Amino acid sequence: MSARNPGMELDLEWVSKVRVNQQAVLRRAQQIQGRKLVKKQWEAAWLLRAVTCIDLTTLAGDDTPSNVHRLCLKATQPVRHDLLESMDMHNKGITTAAVCVYPARVADAVRSLKAANSSLPVASVATGFPAGQTHLKTRLGEVRMAVEDGASEIDIVINRMLALTGQWEALYQEICQFREACGDAHMKTILAVGELGTFTNVYKASLVAMMAGSDFIKTSTGKEAVNATYPVAIVMARAIRDYFLRTGHKDSLVWLTLMKEELGEEWLKAELFRLGASTLLADIERQIYHHVTGRYPAYHELPLA
Amino acid sequence: MAGSTTKTVHDIFQSMEYGPASSSTATAQCWLEHHSRSPGLFVDGTFVCPSDRQLSTVNDASGQRLWSTVCATDEDVSLVASSSLSGFKVWSGLSCHQRAKVFQRFGSGLQRCSQCLAELCEMVQSPSSVSALVRLAQYYTGWAQLRDTLIPDWTPQGVVAVVVSDDCPLYSLLLKVLPALAVGNAVIVIPGSGTALPALLTASILGEAGLPAGAMNIITGKDLSLGIKVAQNPNINHVTFTGNKKEGEMLSREIAGWGVPVSLSLSANAICPFIIFESADIDSAVDSVIEAAFKKKKECQWVLCVQESVWDNVVARLKVRMAGMKCLPLLIESDRHIVDAAVQEAQQQGATVILPCPPPSSLSLYPPTVLCGVAPSCPCVVSPPPGPLLPTLSFRTAAEGLTIGNHSPHGHAASVWTEDLTLALECAKSLSMGAVWVNSHSVFDPSLCLSGVKESGNCTDGGHEGLFQFLRPGLSPPLPRCSPLSVDYVKFGATASRPPVPGATESGNPAHTPRFYLQLVGGQQCKADSGSSASILAPGGSVLAYCPDGGRKDVRNAVELAIKSLSGWKKRSPVSRSQLLYTLAECLELKKQVMAMSLQAQTGILLEEAELEVDLSISRLFDWAAHCEKEAAGVQSLPQSGSALSLPEPLGVLGVVLPDRRPLLSLVSLLGAALAAGNAVVMVPSEKYPLPALEFIQVIQSSTIPVGVVSIITGSRDLLTQALANHNVIQAIWYWGSQEGCQYLQYTCCNPLKSLWLHCEVEGEEEGKRGGGGRDWALSHRPLLEEMWRQATHWKSVWIPTA
Repeated sequence: MSARNPGMELDLEWVSKVRVNQQAVLRRAQQIQGRKLVKKQWEAAWLLRAVTCIDLTTLAGDDTPSNVHRLCLKATQPVRHDLLESMDMHNKGITTAAVCVYPARVADAVRSLKAANSSLPVASVATGFPAGQTHLKTRLGEVRMAVEDGASEIDIVINRMLALTGQWEALYQEICQFREACGDAHMKTILAVGELGTFTNVYKASLVAMMAGSDFIKTSTGKEAVNATYPVAIVMARAIRDYFLRTGHKDSLVWLTLMKEELGEEWLKAELFRLGASTLLADIERQIYHHVTGRYPAYHELPLA
Repeated sequence: MAGSTTKTVHDIFQSMEYGPASSSTATAQCWLEHHSRSPGLFVDGTFVCPSDRQLSTVNDASGQRLWSTVCATDEDVSLVASSSLSGFKVWSGLSCHQRAKVFQRFGSGLQRCSQCLAELCEMVQSPSSVSALVRLAQYYTGWAQLRDTLIPDWTPQGVVAVVVSDDCPLYSLLLKVLPALAVGNAVIVIPGSGTALPALLTASILGEAGLPAGAMNIITGKDLSLGIKVAQNPNINHVTFTGNKKEGEMLSREIAGWGVPVSLSLSANAICPFIIFESADIDSAVDSVIEAAFKKKKECQWVLCVQESVWDNVVARLKVRMAGMKCLPLLIESDRHIVDAAVQEAQQQGATVILPCPPPSSLSLYPPTVLCGVAPSCPCVVSPPPGPLLPTLSFRTAAEGLTIGNHSPHGHAASVWTEDLTLALECAKSLSMGAVWVNSHSVFDPSLCLSGVKESGNCTDGGHEGLFQFLRPGLSPPLPRCSPLSVDYVKFGATASRPPVPGATESGNPAHTPRFYLQLVGGQQCKADSGSSASILAPGGSVLAYCPDGGRKDVRNAVELAIKSLSGWKKRSPVSRSQLLYTLAECLELKKQVMAMSLQAQTGILLEEAELEVDLSISRLFDWAAHCEKEAAGVQSLPQSGSALSLPEPLGVLGVVLPDRRPLLSLVSLLGAALAAGNAVVMVPSEKYPLPALEFIQVIQSSTIPVGVVSIITGSRDLLTQALANHNVIQAIWYWGSQEGCQYLQYTCCNPLKSLWLHCEVEGEEEGKRGGGGRDWALSHRPLLEEMWRQATHWKSVWIPTA
């Protein structure tokens, strides 16, 4: 795990000066999407890198120890061994970045991974995921219990009410408290960008979350109407760059290009960058299969999660 | 890239580098092969490859012949010119709808051949987006269809020669060719090395779309000399050039005196400011400037101007963004020394350099380089070297930013970054540029007209306004073609002074002493600076009066005061200008009798005729007063979302050398046009008939026209023409006079560039006949007035994109 973001005092002047030109961001997104995608072994390498940045996730009402167990084992061997072997990548420790579950399933996940002799981190969503509309006390309690159960990463959701009404001070205080509750566990702050209204709010929320000591900022819970889009990611990446330039703390293929272009290649690591969509893994594995064999696989040819 | 294939997945997994860019040219190769690698010329609708012509051949790295272009001879030029003449007859004889159908089919033809066209453009190192070309075709389909409906009473010029310099992309070429064709002209294209192959393919696509044989011919050569040869051919009615300044200037000089109008678009390599204000979205601005300044083939030289308060933010982001960038190819290897020297010089002057890697040993590559903290006086700002360099300087306030942005001989375009709408619009107004892109850069669309200011051109391309370059009012005949005279450009106008011989100018009638008139310089009635005067003769030959014999100094004084008055005068709203012109008309009405008498005395016409001319002049001023208020800015629609404005703006200070004919009416017509558009004018009345103009000074003085906006200087026409031509502040000259004078102006006014509107007057011509500028001043035909208005205006386009 990387060094942590110690956070800083809330700098409201900085937050208030933020300006984002929506059309320019959209144009930039188009430009990045318009780049020729990498091919051949470059495609394979980039795909594998994407795999290592995935938080393999199950967040469903019907999660039980058995499907969480399957998920954990898939996370430790995300791509079929023979495929990796053919690219000479089998002993390079290709796993996903983490396994992500609801707080009540943390203990199951920790047990499964331990049994499989894996040190893969378990991430837990918390703080009234996905809406965040519960009392602060219960949200804090949720964080603490997940940490007690062995989660080493906590995905908190921010209080959108505070962001939308411009109460950045209050938002800062809340996130600081979550951070304290996390203890040694890394804190990933989900901004739920689809519900923040404007790019300017996304930028400001990103800054406040980082000032309050978030180790990661994430786009969305996957449960809002609008989730991660490229333009929004550009805005967040720029906020990260801004924060990094100011403080020196560091916090799919187009996604990788985007991060590479906006931030630079040293940011393309699981310690600093995560992809949240779990169905992504199946797609990536299929593409790797195609790269190795030249054929498109049927779904049943690739191991189930 | 030989080693790249050995890279293992693991290596790349570690380094996360981009793979090699793959580009295939198979389709283009196939097309070239089909034409035996030498497509030749495109004449009369087919490819012609005349034998025993010199070839200019391009080989690939291994010495394999890629393609050859034919170097056309004089024989080819006359063949092409006569083919174009017959092409013009067929093409202009078609109905608007028939021409529109050809354009429509051309648009789909372009889409069909997009792969081949894109690859050809790639091969000649001048990449063009085919979708932008398709948009051009679609846009001009509309104008082809609507010409007679929306621009009635204008006719095509005839055969238009389109000359393109080597560094121009296909888009610029088609931005000339398509409007010329759309309004019914035939074109002869003389492409540069960067456009020859794609232009040939485009011509064949147009041919397949149904363009009549000869309506578009393409003739290739080695250099500009071919363009000059074509332009001198008597079948050509108009020459238009797009490309770099040097060649434009040369072309203009070489065809001075041939009686063919030239329009120049000199946007290639123009210096354009990229201004980032503190209120900008800095991240987007930085991304954008990197995209603009470090693309492989950039169309202009950007200079980054950053407000001091956000300087550190911008520089920090530039550093981050540039860290991983790759070296860019230089055009030719010898550029490397120039680039090295420029960077070194900037560093010596205290600039810091941001670059992703040290310059490689290979001479053909250079890393993208930002020169931070240069001054406007640095050579890399004044004359930017080739290569991926971005000079960056700081400014304190918005006003200073605009001053720095404007302080350049170029006036092509500017990019302005701010989230403050008021500031953005104020910038757009005060930047003397053809195009202002707010929060964006390099937005080219045919509906957004592009009209360079200062050194960047003297015509408008694109949009409704751009069509008039290729049209003339139906009632005004084309310039008569002629051959150049032997004009001594150094001595022109120098020996024209004629001091009055004492005693020789006594009038026959001792009771009538000729009056001594004063000229008008910057709102002051005064004598000539030299103190000398000339006599005004009546038709009978007797001395009617004396007028000042003005010269260079008088012109200088007039221009100085015009500049002073201009800043306030430009800002006046059209409504206020319109009221002023009504007042001027009223003042003329009050002096009607005096004016009529002076006309009668000067030209010898009947008093009734003279009174009629004064009445017409009053009515003409009303025309302009009404016109100026109604000619408003337009809003264009683009495929992208945002607001596009076309704003008519004054040129600045105009020099007008007035015709002999209709001395009052012509003066009032031209003055009205210039003032309605917001210009300041220095007028030189007819040398033969100056009296009405001198009398008109009283009218001006009694009106409310601001001091300095109008000057009237009498004296030798040639001498004053020479003085106007050599004052660099004057942006345009309208000239009625000798063929020699026209030739002199064409030769002289290409550096610094002025817009010219030339008319050759022939001695002893009767009223109403053609020649003599061909203009019947009494007509208030709409296109004739519109032509004057368009001569007095340039168009600025402002693009404000929205999400």
